[in-house]
Amino acid sequence: MTEPPSKHSPDMQQLSAYLDGELDSSTRHNLADHLDTCPLCASQLARLQTLTADFGNLPQETLGFDLAGVIEGRLAAAPRPPEKKRPARWWGLLPVSIGAAASIAVGVGMGSALLGGAAAMPRVTAMSVFDTLPPGGLCLGPDSCYSNGARK
Amino acid sequence: MEDEENGLASRAQAGDRQAFAQLVRRFQDRVFGFILRMNNSRDEAMDLTQETFMKAYQALPTWRPDARFSTWLFQIARNATLDILRRRQLVEFVPLDAGQPEGEALDPPDDAPLPEEHLSGRQRIALLEQSLHELPVEQREILLLRELENMSYADIAVTLNIEAGTVKSRLARARTAVLAKFQHHAGENRHD
Ligand SMILES: [Zn+2]
Repeated sequence: MTEPPSKHSPDMQQLSAYLDGELDSSTRHNLADHLDTCPLCASQLARLQTLTADFGNLPQETLGFDLAGVIEGRLAAAPRPPEKKRPARWWGLLPVSIGAAASIAVGVGMGSALLGGAAAMPRVTAMSVFDTLPPGGLCLGPDSCYSNGARK
Repeated sequence: MEDEENGLASRAQAGDRQAFAQLVRRFQDRVFGFILRMNNSRDEAMDLTQETFMKAYQALPTWRPDARFSTWLFQIARNATLDILRRRQLVEFVPLDAGQPEGEALDPPDDAPLPEEHLSGRQRIALLEQSLHELPVEQREILLLRELENMSYADIAVTLNIEAGTVKSRLARARTAVLAKFQHHAGENRHD
């Protein structure tokens, strides 16, 4: 009589990585051999495969319009600042309170020319209304939000 | 495919708006689908999709060709979505990467047919959507990136800003959890 595989809990982590082709080759071969003789693990793998198939059957969601055209329009209205270096934080040197900065931000609404620099506007605004960026609000700076993980 | 998308991204980075428009057209539905399944609000997902591409354009100077453009794009989409979910306080903070899944046994009793086996294709889709939405965000997002976006573990690690080894364990846990919920709902369904 052949020895049945000892009763054990299938290792979902290994089975899941096996399904994804993310095991190293020796682990993969060992698990493949085990699957040939262990109906318990084989049935769990089958469930994972069915799950993947079910995901494949989810309806493809579509936005329903050409976003590129909308983006084009927005970019034309607010072109990307081409510089990679951050502007000097001139406002950080000013002996003003946050309240004063906020009032400057209000003043910005009357015309950024008053402040003598287009780059200053989003930064001052960001200080006072960081949590309520308008719908057109953009990333505050290339280094501030999204680059860290992608660089690793 | 990857070379093509990164080629477009390089051109966009150099200031070619048409190249960026092509990237938008190529990825708009995938980004939208991901965000929609993350936040379950169509209007908000439309806004966030638009914001994702605007932010991507703004941040293009920081993109490096050694990163796949789509991975980088999903990272932006994911961060923007989590921001909104946090504001809505819908991000559940669960210790996901330690211990067993919360008491949800996956194994059916010996020889019992699985309750989901009688379901139609349409029912399976509905139950999967429901089960997915009941998962903590951290499990939902990793399932979407793997099962719908077909990302490698390395790309998932970059997108979620976690270790590659964590991808393996978190994904297995997420699959176990969604299967358990699926099985649970399928059982309820049968007793109707
Ligand atoms: Zn086994």
